[in-house]
Amino acid sequence: MNELLEILNEINPGIDYETETRLIDDALLDSFSILSLIPELEDAFGITITPADMIPVNFNSANAIWSMINQLKEE
Amino acid sequence: MTYTSILYLLIFLPGVMLFYQLVPVRHRYKVLLAASWLFFLSLSGKLIVYLLLSTLSVHHIGLWLSSCKKSLDLTGASVEEKKSLKAAYAAKKRRILWFGLGIQLGMLIVLKYSGFFSDNMNHLLKAVSYPNLLPGMKFALPIGISFYTLQAVSYLVDVYYEKIPADDHLGRLALYLTFFPILMEGPICRYAQTANALTEGKPLEYKNVTYGFQRVLWGLFKKLIIADRLNLLVETVFGSYKQYGGIVVIVGAILYTFQLYADFSGCIDMTIGTGEVFGITIPENFRQPFFSKSPSEFWRRWHITLGTWLKDYIFYPISLTGPVKKFGKKARTKLGKHVGQVVASSPALFGVWICNGFWHGNGWHYLFFGMYYFVLIMLENLTEPYVIKTAEAFKINRNNLIYRIFQSVKLLIIVFTGELFFRADTLTAGFSMFSSIFTGFNLKALKDGSLLHLGLTIPDYVAVFFGFLAVLAVGIIHERGISIRERMSGLKLPVRWTLYYGAILLVIVLGAYGDGYLPVKLIYAGF
Repeated sequence: MNELLEILNEINPGIDYETETRLIDDALLDSFSILSLIPELEDAFGITITPADMIPVNFNSANAIWSMINQLKEE
Repeated sequence: MTYTSILYLLIFLPGVMLFYQLVPVRHRYKVLLAASWLFFLSLSGKLIVYLLLSTLSVHHIGLWLSSCKKSLDLTGASVEEKKSLKAAYAAKKRRILWFGLGIQLGMLIVLKYSGFFSDNMNHLLKAVSYPNLLPGMKFALPIGISFYTLQAVSYLVDVYYEKIPADDHLGRLALYLTFFPILMEGPICRYAQTANALTEGKPLEYKNVTYGFQRVLWGLFKKLIIADRLNLLVETVFGSYKQYGGIVVIVGAILYTFQLYADFSGCIDMTIGTGEVFGITIPENFRQPFFSKSPSEFWRRWHITLGTWLKDYIFYPISLTGPVKKFGKKARTKLGKHVGQVVASSPALFGVWICNGFWHGNGWHYLFFGMYYFVLIMLENLTEPYVIKTAEAFKINRNNLIYRIFQSVKLLIIVFTGELFFRADTLTAGFSMFSSIFTGFNLKALKDGSLLHLGLTIPDYVAVFFGFLAVLAVGIIHERGISIRERMSGLKLPVRWTLYYGAILLVIVLGAYGDGYLPVKLIYAGF
């Protein structure tokens, strides 16, 4: 989780990722940030993110992103 | 028969409602499906073969994708074996998906674009002194093919990614693709949004029927009072563009934009209203687009379902391919965070806008229209932080009225210019009209009555003006999050029905039909 928070802070600093739960709904993470985030997540956690994973609910909070990562790792 | 015809409004739709209500719940979807095919037959006749082929192939390939998953058996396999079984499964699934997409997109490409390709190839061959080698290929287009093909593609891709299960109910899938209110102009629905509701067979309820017909009436108001009346002027200016320049062309571009909005959003109102009558929620396609501040916001509010379709099935898939991800990483490293991020998104954005342009039709002016917005949105994204910094440096409040007016005027000029090229018969005609704005500019046209010789009389202008004011007022109210229909439902019965009859009367009296008016086809049904 710490590694994820580091990546998020590097891509888009100035947000309290530990508490924020509306990253997409409130446009705190825009599509550019998401597109920057994906290759970083794939490299860091050895996962493959597909277009089917590109839904707001997967990116609305650090916890949601973390859940998605764990789910993709299991697959 | 179209959504605005007497046959549709007074016979077809009430007839479908009657049959729908009379048959048992489990058979109601069959009434909707039979009505949808009948509606299709009335517009495209034997071309229904293409629709049936599309429906059967989507159904079969969806089930094939699903059975492929079921056949994957990993029990007792070692880690290595599991890996190789999974890889073989993924490759097989991908092949099935591409086969399915090939059938759907193949039909669309051959029927809609082969004429464009053969004409351009012949032009090319002629340029290098070869005779016309390719026969002119023009096919009759089944109504709604551009819309139902996108729905078919989204269904297959969603089944492939296991977002939805494959549907073994052929009737439901057929109805999802061809439900008669969405057949002509969309909106482009997703399977998860409408399929189940279409087969539920909800009874007709007073609230749904009155709300639905209010929406249908509002659509007719926009289409018959504004769009069809403006068509007279638009046809004159764009049909004989060489005769006009300056202000007349500007007026033509502006009024075409309003015609297109009134026509398309009016049709969508009728579609959504008809869906409501049967208790089916059809997604919205417009959200006050002219209140946007930028081209990208405009496209998030205009033809919304096409925009989200392109985002989900073009933008993300391109963005997530290996080479594009690599390109993005390089761009971010070499060009810095902001510029790098924007440049990294350019291949996917380019794909979106080339598809947007091409989807609308098979002319170079449509491709130009797509590229026009690609360039503008790239520029908007690139300059955004600098605009914010400049405004801060000059202490300009970006939320104040003057700045908002400046943004709106800038956006309207962008939109009107785009629609000028979009409506022009060819790209050459578009450039000729655009340049004539400057070469033929003088204010005389405002004083010498030129604008009254373009097909519209003073009463026509007055009707359009008041129609436009009504659309503007409704837009402002919706923008404030107020539901007019909820407010109306709170009114006393006599007041409410007086309003309904008043609105019907208004459409009958002010609608542009009968002597002096040509029947106007729904614009987007031609795409």
